[in-house]
Amino acid sequence: MKLGSIAPGEVQMGGLDFVAYSEEFLAGEDLRKLIQANARPSEVELRQLLTCLLKAIRELWSLPGRFIHRDIKPDNGMRLPDLSRPFVLLDLGIAFSVFDTPLTFDAQNRMPPGTFRYLAPEMLQLDFRETLDFRSDVYAAGLTVFEFAAGQHPLARNREDLLTTLSRIAKETPKALKDFRPDLAPWFCQTVDRMLKKLPALRPANLDAIIARLEENA
Amino acid sequence: MKLFAQHGFGEGEKINEGLRDASISGVVFGPKDIAPDRLPERLSELRTSFPTASVLFDPQYYASLLGTNPNIRLGNLEDYPYFRLSRRSQMESSERVGEALRECLAYQVGLPLNGIIAPNILISRSFDSVEAVIAKNFLRQSGSVFRVVGDARPVYATLAVSQQALLDPSELQSFLNDITLLDSPPNGFYLLIATSSSEARTELFNADVIAAWLLLNYTLKLAGFEVINGYSDRLSPFLGAVGGDVGCTGWFNTLRTFSLERFAPSGTGGRLPIQRYLSKRLLNRITHIELDSLRNLFPELVNGLQHDSDYTNGEPPRNREVLQSWEAVAGLLKEMTNSDTDGNLVRCELAVTNAASIYTRLAAAGIRLDARSNSEHLEPIREGIQIFKELAEL
Repeated sequence: MKLGSIAPGEVQMGGLDFVAYSEEFLAGEDLRKLIQANARPSEVELRQLLTCLLKAIRELWSLPGRFIHRDIKPDNGMRLPDLSRPFVLLDLGIAFSVFDTPLTFDAQNRMPPGTFRYLAPEMLQLDFRETLDFRSDVYAAGLTVFEFAAGQHPLARNREDLLTTLSRIAKETPKALKDFRPDLAPWFCQTVDRMLKKLPALRPANLDAIIARLEENA
Repeated sequence: MKLFAQHGFGEGEKINEGLRDASISGVVFGPKDIAPDRLPERLSELRTSFPTASVLFDPQYYASLLGTNPNIRLGNLEDYPYFRLSRRSQMESSERVGEALRECLAYQVGLPLNGIIAPNILISRSFDSVEAVIAKNFLRQSGSVFRVVGDARPVYATLAVSQQALLDPSELQSFLNDITLLDSPPNGFYLLIATSSSEARTELFNADVIAAWLLLNYTLKLAGFEVINGYSDRLSPFLGAVGGDVGCTGWFNTLRTFSLERFAPSGTGGRLPIQRYLSKRLLNRITHIELDSLRNLFPELVNGLQHDSDYTNGEPPRNREVLQSWEAVAGLLKEMTNSDTDGNLVRCELAVTNAASIYTRLAAAGIRLDARSNSEHLEPIREGIQIFKELAEL
């Protein structure tokens, strides 16, 4: 994600202070539209997407404040016709720093901010503010890649109520990616499946190692 | 998975012979049972005679909080320069933890070891306790302090946990989430699971404890750490099946099950224990008398390995029992830890089923075994594997 030609600045409108800026225009398609169009991405494309997402997560976590994106999902991923930048992660609107800013809370729904179908299981715990780390983004990145590859979410169902989906996120074992895409390399499917583990400690945390392997096989 | 000797009192030629047999490939020395002026000499001997053996040193720092017991039995440990008795309240200071780490690591850096084991205290009750906070502080600082010491060898953080603390899976999972994301991680962990007594078989052979021990190995390995299991004895193959790199066992019960009781005053008198034979097929030790009476009726109880010959004429010489044990555990490691986790777990479950079937046949033949030779270990292992699979989302 890059800023556009208008740099961030304070403006007043109607007696209120705002920060105004422009964002880079990206001539691409978001992953949600591609999923709805029944795109069946190749393994090369999927590896590129996973690499881009993991690099973004790594970059955010390496910042001094330890940032987490918190809203990685197909709607916030864009495919570009640019080989040097095939996928871009958008919308850092609810990103937060583990050390610098408190987590916001959606008081109306009594839910942590984010898109509920992509919330990591630990975000449903009462003490999640204390324990959240980049592995929650790893989970959402795994969901995004899974959904793009398989054409469906591994846990949520269309038109099901919020509580049922949240219950599935908390308890149900996701389907295995190889069941939908037996054509993909087993190690790739296993990596994505591991990203979807309920317990953060069971998810791959050595992002450098995964990125290296993804690029090695590119 | 490799098997290391857990060093203790009365080493004699046991470790040399185990290394010569190639049933063990390393040693974890314990300072309680070797004087500080003898240790460098012994390490050099090993380096010369067995250059490929891995040699480590468990600083046994977990004994430092036992000072309130006036009868504490530290052996040579109190003569080591890094060791001092402390109160728990002193350890609550991060500076004191850093100091303890620096002293202990600096001492070991001067020894010809293959890796360095960082000190820690025992989490004796719960992961949600003052002790756990102190232990986590040791874990957090182990890597960073060692890097300041500036040595290229791997450093292993000690994680010593009582079986009682492992009984709450949600606390264990939170703890695992924390320690798999340390800012300056060690290269691996030296894992110790403590019971109240080295004779407390039922504490260790408990399904929840076995499941938790398996989960620790599996998760730490997935996170890229080397995992060395101290005092793991015949559970080593199961731990290796899910990712453990090293298991350790020795020649006394106190070197096969970890307990701080070994630093308590010993009872006086008593007779020498009956010598036992570790049967791979039973996943258990039986007395040499039982072996003698059963070997013809149930030849599958015999491992078919080199040290079986020590048992052909009744009771073997005292120093041979451990060699037979190491050989049998090493054999199980080869059979149960040479595939991926799923494949290994299938082999583990099959080994338990086969053992249960032999015990059933023994019972059908009207054979009653000694209390420690019976099949009580099998159900906790079988159930422990099932619970582990659920916890590990397999």
